[in-house]
Amino acid sequence: MNDACQRYAEDPEKNAAHLRECETCRSLYAGVETRPVNVGTLPLAAWEGARYRSWPLVLGGALAVLAIALALCAAAGISPIAALAVGFRSDSARAWIALIDQKLRPLGPLVFATLFIIVNTILVLLLRRAPRGIDA
Amino acid sequence: MRRTILIALVIAATVVTALVAAPLFKTPAAPTTFSEAASMITRTAVSVSLLFVWIIVAIVVTLMSGREVRYSSIEVRTSPLHCFALGLVAVTSFVLTAILFSYLIPYLVGIPLLVALAILAVITKIYGTIAVFHAVGSIVAAARSRDKLAERRWLRGDLAMVVIGILLLGAIRLIPVVGTVVWGIASVFGIGTALATKFGRREPWFLVWRTADV
Repeated sequence: MNDACQRYAEDPEKNAAHLRECETCRSLYAGVETRPVNVGTLPLAAWEGARYRSWPLVLGGALAVLAIALALCAAAGISPIAALAVGFRSDSARAWIALIDQKLRPLGPLVFATLFIIVNTILVLLLRRAPRGIDA
Repeated sequence: MRRTILIALVIAATVVTALVAAPLFKTPAAPTTFSEAASMITRTAVSVSLLFVWIIVAIVVTLMSGREVRYSSIEVRTSPLHCFALGLVAVTSFVLTAILFSYLIPYLVGIPLLVALAILAVITKIYGTIAVFHAVGSIVAAARSRDKLAERRWLRGDLAMVVIGILLLGAIRLIPVVGTVVWGIASVFGIGTALATKFGRREPWFLVWRTADV
């Protein structure tokens, strides 16, 4: 293989004339089906342009929300820290768990154990399915 | 077309939010006294403050693991039913497991187990909700062709999609009742997609037992 063969391997369309001159390449690439691919017609992949960081939009959005939050806190007469503390404290998850516990307790441990096993079996079965995502 | 839908959505969310904050006519939910109005403003202030925290957390998570968030976002868009079902079952499982662990508190082992479960649940919810933000942002504002993508200066990339998703869902969250329901459904989708993709790593949760072929 010489330099011309190398150049043909790297860019077959630009160096198409080489195929007529070189017997080795002709025999090598005879069985290879080449089709020009128009990249523009292919569907846009999810990762294309994904790493771009749009800082003006991100900072603009964040600062706008911060400004609205500060204005509302000032109107309500509370500090932003106090607002956040109220927001984090008002977690309804604990209340939900207590409520469900109250409802399940009269049914007895056997019903609870059965329910626990059924729900977790379904969870395991659903988790066994491979994600489709990018392969779909 | 898509830009029109986006603009219409933003205007609709703004109008609804404005009507809720300062209604033109009296509704049963409208504050009738000064203290009720003050309470409504305080609730809105708390919601918007939390939204700002969500934006900060989402930016950090997307910068740290943008690819994983994107994979989970794709999963929720391609298999929404599976993600929703998995999310519902996972939430039920979390609750039942928490009740089970709470019975173990007298035996000391219950507290660390509960703490571990709470950490898992919180991480799953936060990561999954960020993936849902990305999915919502992509559905509404992502470019569908390379030409459109090349034309855009700001409205592209994972970070922009996440922020658009947060702003949209955050605006919807301010609507009483509807906002809570929509946010709850988004959380269920999020937990489902986080678990379905193993936090965007797309690895199997369980290994298959096979004998070695000699």
